[in-house]
Amino acid sequence: MKDKVGAVLVVGGGIAGIQASLDLANSGFRVYLLDESPSIGGTMTQLDKTFPTNDCAMCILAPKLVMAGRHPNIELIMGAEIKSVEGEEGHFQVALVRKPRYIDEEKCTGCGVCARKCPIEGIDEFNEGLGERTAIYVKYPQAVPLVYAIDRDKCIGCGTCQEVCKAGAVKYDEKEKRIALHVGSIILSPGFEEFDPKLKGEYGYGRYSNVVSSIEFERILSASGPYGGIVLRPSDGKVPRKIAFIQCVGSRDAKIGNNYCSSACCMYAIKEAIIAKEHNPDLQCTIFFMDVRAYGKEFDAYYNRAEEEYGVKFVRSRVPQIGEVLESQNLLVKYVEDENPATEEFNLVVLSVGMRPPKHAEELAKTLDIKLNKYNFCSSETFSPLETSRPGIYVCGAFSSPKDIPESVAQASGAAAKAASSISSAREMLTTVKEYPPERDVSGEEPRIGVFVCHCGINIGGVVNVPEVVEYVKTLPNVAYAEHNLYTCSEDTQKRIHEIIKEHNLNRVVVASCTPRTHEPLFRETVREAGLNIYLFEMANIRDQCSWVHMHEHEEATEKAKDLVRSIVAKTRLLKPLKKPMIDVTPIGLVIGGGLSGMTAALELAKQDFEAHLVEKEKELGGHLRHIHYLLGSEDPQERLGSIIKEVTENEKIHVHLNSELSDVEGYVGNFKTTLNNDGEKKEIKHGVVIVATGAMEYNPNEYLYGVDERVVTQRELEERLTNGGFNAKTVVMIQCVGSRNGEHPYCSRICCSQAVKNALKIKELSPETDVYVLYKDMRTYGFLEDYYREAASKGVLFINYDDENRPRLVQENGKLKLTVWEPVIKTWTPIEPDLLALSVATLPNPDNEHIAKMLKVPLSKDKFFLEAHMKLRPVDFATEGIFLCGLAHWPKSIEESISQACAAAARAATILSKEALEVEGAIANVNEDFCSGCKICESVCAYNAIEMKEVDGKPRAHVLEALCKGCGVCGSSCPTGAISMLNFTDDQILAQVRAALKEETKYD
Amino acid sequence: MEKTGKLKFAFYWAASCGGCEITVLDVNEKILDVLALADIVFWPVAIDIKYKAVKAFPDKSIDVCFFNGAIRTEEQEHMAKLLRKKSKVLIAFGSCAYQGGIPGLANVADKKEVFERAYLQSPSTHNPNCVTPKTSFKVPEGELKLPEFFDTVKTLDQTVAVDYYLPGCPPVSDQVAKAVEAIAKNELPPKGSVLAPEKSVCDECPRKKEDKKISKIYRVYEITPDPEKCLLEQGIICIGPATRGGCGAKCINANMPCTGCGGPCPNEMEQGAAMMSALLSILGVSGEKELEYDAEKLADQIRDPLGTFYKYSLPASLLRRRIMKK
Amino acid sequence: MTKSEFEPKIVGFLCNWCSYAGADLAGVSRIQYPPTLRIVRVMCSGRVDPVFILEAFRSGADGVLVAGCHPGDCHYLSGNYKLQRRVSMLKKVLEQFGLEPERLRLEWVSASEGDRFATVIKDMTEKVKKLGPSPLNNGG
Ligand code: SF4
Ligand code: SF4
Ligand code: FES
Repeated sequence: MKDKVGAVLVVGGGIAGIQASLDLANSGFRVYLLDESPSIGGTMTQLDKTFPTNDCAMCILAPKLVMAGRHPNIELIMGAEIKSVEGEEGHFQVALVRKPRYIDEEKCTGCGVCARKCPIEGIDEFNEGLGERTAIYVKYPQAVPLVYAIDRDKCIGCGTCQEVCKAGAVKYDEKEKRIALHVGSIILSPGFEEFDPKLKGEYGYGRYSNVVSSIEFERILSASGPYGGIVLRPSDGKVPRKIAFIQCVGSRDAKIGNNYCSSACCMYAIKEAIIAKEHNPDLQCTIFFMDVRAYGKEFDAYYNRAEEEYGVKFVRSRVPQIGEVLESQNLLVKYVEDENPATEEFNLVVLSVGMRPPKHAEELAKTLDIKLNKYNFCSSETFSPLETSRPGIYVCGAFSSPKDIPESVAQASGAAAKAASSISSAREMLTTVKEYPPERDVSGEEPRIGVFVCHCGINIGGVVNVPEVVEYVKTLPNVAYAEHNLYTCSEDTQKRIHEIIKEHNLNRVVVASCTPRTHEPLFRETVREAGLNIYLFEMANIRDQCSWVHMHEHEEATEKAKDLVRSIVAKTRLLKPLKKPMIDVTPIGLVIGGGLSGMTAALELAKQDFEAHLVEKEKELGGHLRHIHYLLGSEDPQERLGSIIKEVTENEKIHVHLNSELSDVEGYVGNFKTTLNNDGEKKEIKHGVVIVATGAMEYNPNEYLYGVDERVVTQRELEERLTNGGFNAKTVVMIQCVGSRNGEHPYCSRICCSQAVKNALKIKELSPETDVYVLYKDMRTYGFLEDYYREAASKGVLFINYDDENRPRLVQENGKLKLTVWEPVIKTWTPIEPDLLALSVATLPNPDNEHIAKMLKVPLSKDKFFLEAHMKLRPVDFATEGIFLCGLAHWPKSIEESISQACAAAARAATILSKEALEVEGAIANVNEDFCSGCKICESVCAYNAIEMKEVDGKPRAHVLEALCKGCGVCGSSCPTGAISMLNFTDDQILAQVRAALKEETKYD
Repeated sequence: MEKTGKLKFAFYWAASCGGCEITVLDVNEKILDVLALADIVFWPVAIDIKYKAVKAFPDKSIDVCFFNGAIRTEEQEHMAKLLRKKSKVLIAFGSCAYQGGIPGLANVADKKEVFERAYLQSPSTHNPNCVTPKTSFKVPEGELKLPEFFDTVKTLDQTVAVDYYLPGCPPVSDQVAKAVEAIAKNELPPKGSVLAPEKSVCDECPRKKEDKKISKIYRVYEITPDPEKCLLEQGIICIGPATRGGCGAKCINANMPCTGCGGPCPNEMEQGAAMMSALLSILGVSGEKELEYDAEKLADQIRDPLGTFYKYSLPASLLRRRIMKK
Repeated sequence: MTKSEFEPKIVGFLCNWCSYAGADLAGVSRIQYPPTLRIVRVMCSGRVDPVFILEAFRSGADGVLVAGCHPGDCHYLSGNYKLQRRVSMLKKVLEQFGLEPERLRLEWVSASEGDRFATVIKDMTEKVKKLGPSPLNNGG
């Protein structure tokens, strides 16, 4: 067999593609990240805030964009598409075509002078056509790569940009380019397409200017959007008082052929309503919905807050039509409430548009030879949610089914695990490790600082008198050299800096130019190549924070630039070289919990050649899945379970510990030591990571005569009966949300709606004449599950909505079960006499969570499920490095979702296990034991458990676990003895910077 | 005076309560050792020697001068300068000389306000003619002069160069004894040193320390603290973490919190900010509720932050005193 | 110096992830604000020690701005809460020191709020101008 190729092609640069690329690149594979558009980031860059935490989308995304953009093992291929894919798993030959960008990517510095001079004003797609942009453009201000592109459809070829571009990056004659790649796996993450609301003519989108799509509204809300974050309506720029949100536009709509639910719209509508109300508290927001599908982690709490705290109004009605009032351009929303038709006037209507498969899905499927489902999303199976129909090609994100961000991210990591395991023999074959010259020892030398002040074309030089700044800088103590450059970041200036460092024997370097957030890595690299420690470099931001914001105050800007450089020079004088400590890694994983998630995680680790210990409390593997006998769809869960258990037990790399529990965990990422308790017998295990897959529990109800009358069963018990015979009921009622969404467990258990639909369909299959009623609060059959909901309804299953005021009432009378149900349509209490009453009971957190959380020092959520590091972007990570989670331990979820998450946890773990040693950031906390007095304040404030108390001469002393410290500095400013210094941001350095920012220092010592 | 080969010591008392003088006596039987070691050439509280006599000493003729009290009057400033000139080694003795101490808290006011309060408004004052101190006063015999009372209290080293510091209100006798011993053996550390351990009071505190996160602050009389547990963890403000040790955690052992007389730890610029930062970093930060606490209300629990965090160190703090409106 | 020609000097401690990024975005979007601010970058607002602020005032700053991520958004989970608590106490202390607490300002500015960042600086400059030079500002 041919050797496998240690490279992966990731198709689609949205959040899923970025996550998959980072995970792969960080575990020893080369990645090509391809996107049709000129920059990565996808839809998430357009979002304002994200639910349910209201995090600013750009804030949390930008660091990942930057990381992907400068990762040595990720190559971005922008503006490209796939022409053909030959070969098979392990070695694919891919042919690409890259559209010309008309800008030299190497030369463009992203300064944007061209765009300011471009005479063309075109439509800005990023702002959803609500604003304007020039023909030479970047998609959004923080774009990665920060390279402009010319839109030839709009460009008139006037030559202005070529003239003004001092970097000489404009290439009008650039041609299409063919690229051939050789990769081992392919991951598809092309995302989704918004549903075009014009197709729903009755809503008047496109005709009425105040009917906008949800994504347009997202831009309206954004501080960087077309109206600068003020909620205005497009027709007249007036502040709207009443906004209506119409749900399911293009979703759950068989008429237009989209029967599926788009899964995220309920939540984003709630979010948009909340944010809009935060902008303007007097605003009235009404959401017209069919079911509020707030099924995710903490979603229901968010929904409740919207209703109770923010006063968002929710109306259960499918809106048939919207009309416009001529003069005011207000909108008339028609709906049905309590069976009565009603009309209400709004100033603005937001259509919650659904997700469609990506535009070129069919073409893509043809080129790649993969199957699509009937809606043209990528087809996959319950037990292999990340695999396409062609081996070696994997899928993640919205392309496999509509989903929200955390699920896309989890799937992305999961797909990375899959892509990696099939080529794990080729790990590190194609990655590059850069060799550097040895570092020069500068200790004991007087600081000799070199300062390079950038003109940035005319971006700085046009406002700040750069030569004057240079002359001034030369007068500062310890400045041994200063000069100005047209572009300090250009290739040739890098060489020059290198030479000057040598020639003038510089031991510290300052660049005064743009922002360190984008350019620090580049310059650090340059000083490192010249033999200096990277921490001997600093930047003064005299562009983004000076010349660009004081464009008309040349003198003041020049003075400010001098102050900024002086203050950075003052800090630089005190810089010290720092080491990046290396931490050894034990390449073994510990998985807690032997259910589906735990077994999958262990298997994925093993497939990537890592050993894994799988710890199960009970005497057999399988967890929850042991009780599932059939699924929606055709797969046989018991057969699959059997083969997974077999695979696990037969795998040499997996050590299964049954009847075992954790009794103690010590150590940190890379170096854990865990003691297992196997029926009183202790065993010690060394491992590098932990994956928490402790599962969940079923609620044992005390409602509805459960346990009193044996005709009252749980869905799981019903399933047993339906499988093993013993089912003969003529009337079955199912009650949803038993133990969920109430005072005690305010959350939604997510899986019970589809479980009810599944059992209802089974009943109809076995006994078509049986009457089945499902009493529900909201039917939360999200995604493609909606199809089964519709199927059940069409087979005569009756779905009746109830709310908290009108819960069904059950009594036992003359040996019969008598249920009274509020019928909302005819508004009466209706009696039903079921022979069987099935309760859809809540999924509860595992009671073991609390002590496991304590042992691992990781947090639990309010509802006592494990709490991940970040609800949006780090769904399977804990804040503490080296500990991951998956499956029901995180939140109730389906089989597919559990598998995706388990694979994700394995992929995240592999980013650590694949390294012999972890390199740690040098700018971290450092304790001086001479001063530390053991007060433990630092230990209490560190959010990452990175400080541990150690006994030194019988007294407690703080000790920083370098592998865990993130360098935030919270401990440093909290330590009352000054024992902690924050390397690279020491008190002395910051204080010197502060003083020098305010005055000319005369004495330096 | 020049009769023995013994060392020559001087003691002086500026703006302070006098407690420091007691410490010297507290050295107990060791005082005899001291006397065996040194002659006391100047000690206004115990020996009758006039300033004039001191003036007549040759420069640097005093080996060690223990100077307690802050500088708030012309007289104290004069004596500080004089003793500096006459002494080889000048030790700022006690919190007041070192950091300003309790008298330093007067820096929240100026002379005018201090006089008004002390001589006019305080409830125990009977002063129908509203007389306040003057620097000169004519009497039939001639003009009487009183030293000027400054607007601002200064530490000793803001007035003259200081060689060593002995913190404490008052310094504990052990430490004094240790210092004297070091002097005797000529084993003093480099000039500028504080003659106390480098660690904070926590290092000497025997109480159990577990989790520092707190959400409510109690005043000492509001609860009966568990004698085994860290007071701060029980919500009582203990300045120990930000205070240089050496005292043996005396107050804490008496079930009272440290109020900070030892001054800042060696690696901190000022004690007040260090304690403020530490305390406010652990206040109202437990668990998921962080967002829900009202930061204002948390801060409002401390009624007199300046007096709490800068009890002994206001003149030595970065801003030194209250800015008076003109 | 008469009040009308007084241009305040403000020191701004900005966290790297949100507020510094927000300040950059103000630049990228060319939103103009007065040249009164001198920015000091820290990784997290939770790094800001009251000593830095006091030292800034002692060195003659007329105002000090500390800006971090919005509550819940801190890149390091909770650094901004620590800062928020310190600032609320420090304001009280500043008042006792006789310095107008309004000279110290805490703001949450996200990476996408370039506009807001500029507005904050404009507003703060105005307010500090009204307060006049810091009594500790001895001419620089
Ligand atoms: S806060 Fe400072 S003194 Fe206290 S334990 Fe930590 S390092 Fe030591
Ligand atoms: S710098 Fe931040 S992450 Fe590191 S030890 Fe201190 S508090 Fe923890
Ligand atoms: S990173 Fe912005 S406040 Fe912590």
